[in-house]
Amino acid sequence: MTQTMPPDLTARIGSVLLKNPVMSASGTFGYGLEFTPFYDISRLGAVIVKGLSLLPTPGNAPVRIVETPAGMLNAIGLQNIGVERFINEVAPRLDDAGATYVANIYGRTVEEYEAVARRLAEVPALAAIELNASCPNVKEGGIAFGSSPGGLSGLTRRVRAATEKPLWVKLSPNVSDIGAMARAAEEAGADAVTLINTIIGMAVDSRTRRPILSNVTGGLSGPAVKPVALRMVWEACKAVRIPVIGIGGIQCARDALEFLLVGAAAVQVGTANFRNPNACVEIIDGIRDFFVREKIFRLDDYRGTLRTQG
Amino acid sequence: MPQGNARFVHGKILHNAGTGAFYRMEVAVPDRIDFVPGQFAMVSGWPGNDPLLPRPLAIFRTGGARGKGTVEFVYKVVGRGTALLSGLHAGAPLSLTLPLGHGFEFPAEDRFWWLVGGGVGFSSVFPAAAVLDAQRSDFEIFLGARTRDQLPPGDWIPGANAPGRVHLCTDDGTAGFFGTVASALRDRIDRRKPSGTARVSILACGPHAMLKSVADLALPLGFRVQVSLESSMACGFGVCWGCVTAIRDGGNSGYRRVCREGPVFDARRVVW
Repeated sequence: MTQTMPPDLTARIGSVLLKNPVMSASGTFGYGLEFTPFYDISRLGAVIVKGLSLLPTPGNAPVRIVETPAGMLNAIGLQNIGVERFINEVAPRLDDAGATYVANIYGRTVEEYEAVARRLAEVPALAAIELNASCPNVKEGGIAFGSSPGGLSGLTRRVRAATEKPLWVKLSPNVSDIGAMARAAEEAGADAVTLINTIIGMAVDSRTRRPILSNVTGGLSGPAVKPVALRMVWEACKAVRIPVIGIGGIQCARDALEFLLVGAAAVQVGTANFRNPNACVEIIDGIRDFFVREKIFRLDDYRGTLRTQG
Repeated sequence: MPQGNARFVHGKILHNAGTGAFYRMEVAVPDRIDFVPGQFAMVSGWPGNDPLLPRPLAIFRTGGARGKGTVEFVYKVVGRGTALLSGLHAGAPLSLTLPLGHGFEFPAEDRFWWLVGGGVGFSSVFPAAAVLDAQRSDFEIFLGARTRDQLPPGDWIPGANAPGRVHLCTDDGTAGFFGTVASALRDRIDRRKPSGTARVSILACGPHAMLKSVADLALPLGFRVQVSLESSMACGFGVCWGCVTAIRDGGNSGYRRVCREGPVFDARRVVW
């Protein structure tokens, strides 16, 4: 191997091979097509589209977002176009764009989750399904299933049986033992776990004595959550054998490298897309540059090499 | 597609200075930016992660040529982001995503136009003047502010020298019409001769309550009213879904993105 060869950034999530370990996080990237004015979305490891439900969902009333120190709270309420329109209108355009893409799904009931997963069998190019078992802003947005190992296990098992697609389970950080949650997903047949979703938070106005968000509480994201996310990803990596996809506050290549270092097989970039539409591709380039500088030839030579002793 | 030409660019501040209540900032950008009045940019330039999000600013003017462009903004310091922005000097780097959103529409059959700005809202309606001049439409300008100091400098106001074209209003009567913009519009409507003959097309930007009173006044008269709405936004280009407002669509209403389907909406469709 010569130094002039570009490093191999291929990431493997079970049977899914990604050209690099950087994906866009669900809910921060629309349906992917919104980014085509900025760059070629086929450059991403994968696009994770906004959470899809069986029927179109109107979402929460405004106010839906508020900025917080080095972060933001959101309570969008999973507004989305529904799985039918995704299949008919979005998927063909993602195919045309040459993108690798994953559908994030949610339901109000287990049956709705199953139905969305079944419908997506019609999208041959769909690389995987990411089960949203962790939206904090909708009562039925999965958190009912995603806050205990038993609930998560039951939901994962049912959706597992409903689809042959690779199944990733997105975990909530609003639990006391993230390792137990990751194990529950693994034992129920998940091919990977993704974490963390947002951390439940709140903002109020001291003068008007009202909550800022119409939903009262919202999900915290951005650099403020990164240390919490990093710790949870590290714990999950120790708890399961299936790949762990790291997410939470990643703004730059160095942040992404930290998640890979603690064992993540790949990462997702979320809120950073809001402040810089080119964030994902800048992170891919930054990881490549780092590997070249550090003479690391393959992602696998770096991943999970954290030195905790000595 | 209104946003087909949106791009993320690195710019450099050429000039950023306060004039009265407002800051005016000119930025060098890598290319000429073509925009529709009412469109905006997401702007950030302070170091670090706090505040995290860029700030939406209406595009006031653009210039330059291919390979060497400029873009100008007028803003008011309202919070930490704009305060930090106001502290940046010439030469400082900025990140900008632009041009964004759905701007004002200029149907050629509308011959009489009123541009209505409340507070810093003038910054999104003034750019319309050049378009109206080019299509040889008549326009008048209505500017509302709490007090005299909160009005823009006279030389920023397009066509200010034409007699009777500019109507200033202050809530405290320290300059121009003593009262709100909406009451100045009512006064102007009452003075029209012969009353109510030609339809007027209104472009308005300002506080929500002002926009609502303009719509309440002008829509029943059959005027066409386009309003530019404000909202907190995280991304500005349609992916966070944080900035939505309720908009009527046929018999139904649904949440539409202020950054993408807006910021300019037909006032009849806004659920006030």
